[in-house]
Amino acid sequence: MKPLLEIRGLEVEVGGKKILNGLDLVVETGGVHAIMGPNGAGKSTLSYVLAGKPGYEVTGGKVLFDGENLLEMEPDERAARGLFLAFQYPMEIPGVATLTFLRTAFNAQRKKRGQPELSVPDLMKRVREIAARLDINPEMLRRPLNVGFSGGEKKRNETLQMALLEPRLCVLDETDSGLDIDALKVVSEGVNRLRSPDRAFVVITHYQRLLDHIVPDVVHVLSAGRVVRSGGKELALELEATGYAQYQNEAA
Amino acid sequence: MIHLGKNTTSRIISKGIAAGRSQNTYRGLVASHRRASGARNFTNCDSLLIGSHCGAHTVPYMEAKNSSTVFEHEATTSKISDDMLFYCRQRGMSAEEATALVVNGFVKDVLQQLPMEFAVETQKLISISLEGSVG
Repeated sequence: MKPLLEIRGLEVEVGGKKILNGLDLVVETGGVHAIMGPNGAGKSTLSYVLAGKPGYEVTGGKVLFDGENLLEMEPDERAARGLFLAFQYPMEIPGVATLTFLRTAFNAQRKKRGQPELSVPDLMKRVREIAARLDINPEMLRRPLNVGFSGGEKKRNETLQMALLEPRLCVLDETDSGLDIDALKVVSEGVNRLRSPDRAFVVITHYQRLLDHIVPDVVHVLSAGRVVRSGGKELALELEATGYAQYQNEAA
Repeated sequence: MIHLGKNTTSRIISKGIAAGRSQNTYRGLVASHRRASGARNFTNCDSLLIGSHCGAHTVPYMEAKNSSTVFEHEATTSKISDDMLFYCRQRGMSAEEATALVVNGFVKDVLQQLPMEFAVETQKLISISLEGSVG
């Protein structure tokens, strides 16, 4: 079977500094892959490169998404093809109601895929249903996007967008950061509900805690810009016990 | 804005957008007559910059001819950041759609005050003027 995401020997520089150094990662459709690693290992860089953030220079390797060269696509094209990045720090957009943002994003993606746009009442119905499941107060949908939202509300809002846009590959960049235990549960449940044989996840995190809720199929350890070890979900537990120190030595 | 009567109040909201190499300047006179005691004005000047070759300037003029007048002025300048645009683009919007969304959010409190027909016109006008300004 053709993998959904195939990364081979990826090398990336940011401002002349090499961050990713020959990274390999293959994610098949339906798989949930966790990426763990110490600070500065290149975890967030990986998520930004996949999403196409400007300023990240790819100096080697390739990334195939559904068999096509991902690195040649514009960020919005990647999104329309089903790549979703849940941001560690979602941006605030003053004056733009959350619902307006959702509608604009949703219809922009549909337009790019040649699908008809959804009418406002239909869209609102969908958004309301998802919001209810995520314990989101409908009043939040009228507030400007992420402005004055608490950490938990921001991450819930990211999950809401993910559920609405129905991507094929979800990259979660430290979704657990800034969440209390209850919010973590709600967000993880939201993510788990989206797990399906047609969808894959790359979950980036520092801690085992998140992986108790979102149980991964495969765990990768990232250190100094490359995957140094892969294993089943028990690897995460082992890391929790031993820490990352041994891998840092290995990479150095 | 000229205050002639006693205890009169006024409010000015100015929203300026500068893109490309343009410079945007706000100049506004707020005056109170010597018999207009208790006059109050609040002026709010917000500027939005698109790109790094443009600028915004605020030059408020105030002429208070009696001592009980209260004039207030507040100014903010913000920039559409690359991070904000990237966030929108990651959700599937083109660079232009993303800019239009952020700009419309910026001018929202002014447009809301306009009658429906004008608001729609203005919104269209803004998106036309912004065409090609994102590079």
